Amino acid sequence: MSQELTPRPDPVSTPTPPVVDQLVFTPPIDIFETADGLVLQADLPGVTSDTLELQVQDNKLTLFGRVDVSLPAGAKLIHQEYAVGHYLRSFILSDDVDHERIAAKLTNGVLEVILPRVAKSEPRRIQIRTE
Amino acid sequence: MAVFRWGHAWDPFHDLEREVDRLLAGVSLTFQGLRFGRQYPAVNVYDLDHELLITAEIPGVKAEDLELTVADGVLMLRGKRSGIEGVPDERYRRQERPRGPWQRSLSLPERIQEEGLAAEFTNGVLTIHLPKAPSTEPRQIPITDANNEQRILASE
Repeated sequence: MSQELTPRPDPVSTPTPPVVDQLVFTPPIDIFETADGLVLQADLPGVTSDTLELQVQDNKLTLFGRVDVSLPAGAKLIHQEYAVGHYLRSFILSDDVDHERIAAKLTNGVLEVILPRVAKSEPRRIQIRTE
Repeated sequence: MAVFRWGHAWDPFHDLEREVDRLLAGVSLTFQGLRFGRQYPAVNVYDLDHELLITAEIPGVKAEDLELTVADGVLMLRGKRSGIEGVPDERYRRQERPRGPWQRSLSLPERIQEEGLAAEFTNGVLTIHLPKAPSTEPRQIPITDANNEQRILASE
């Protein structure tokens, strides 16, 4: 049995994407506008808040939901209409979005991400020096 | 519409295939926007020794909007996916998730005990437990000589 050498990860390298051993699906989403910004909703059945990863890097929002199917031992699949898998999708955010205030909620397998617009700052009056 | 085609008459799974075909033969769709050209919700059926398990992915339905009824050997699953109140359609930048009322009926095989049906709904996945009736054990049917005695033979 040969021995595999796995390279030690470089501490300053970018994080590697998660390794999936299952199918990965693109979840359907809805995006709509509210007075404060955008709201995104995604169907992620079988994903819990422990298994959901939401990441914002630069202007990209990535969601990765892991689904762990736990079936009782000895269960045989006798009819299949859907496949179980993880969910992955990313979005490019506009500059309008306030990254600090992004919030997310997961209920009944539906993820809701609030993307608030950057609050408009008050106009700043610039003092003019006269010589 | 039969789902399975393999197996011959003496195959022990033949009965099970037929039962599953019956289980899924009853379909009724009132759901708008037929995604993927199939019934909503999609179901998977698992066989355990003492029960059948039916799983369906139905995210976005509140537990009180979900209705599961059984009558006359037919399991009916009904619910509604509603959008957020107060958001008119023109505010949507993108709309991919299905919306609206839906229902699906499944014929239960005779060997299911209707009284013991149980269901749980977690994280948008519905799991229905269908306990098998205990009389799946082979039952010896006494055969009498019709010349000597009149006896009604029990039927399976």
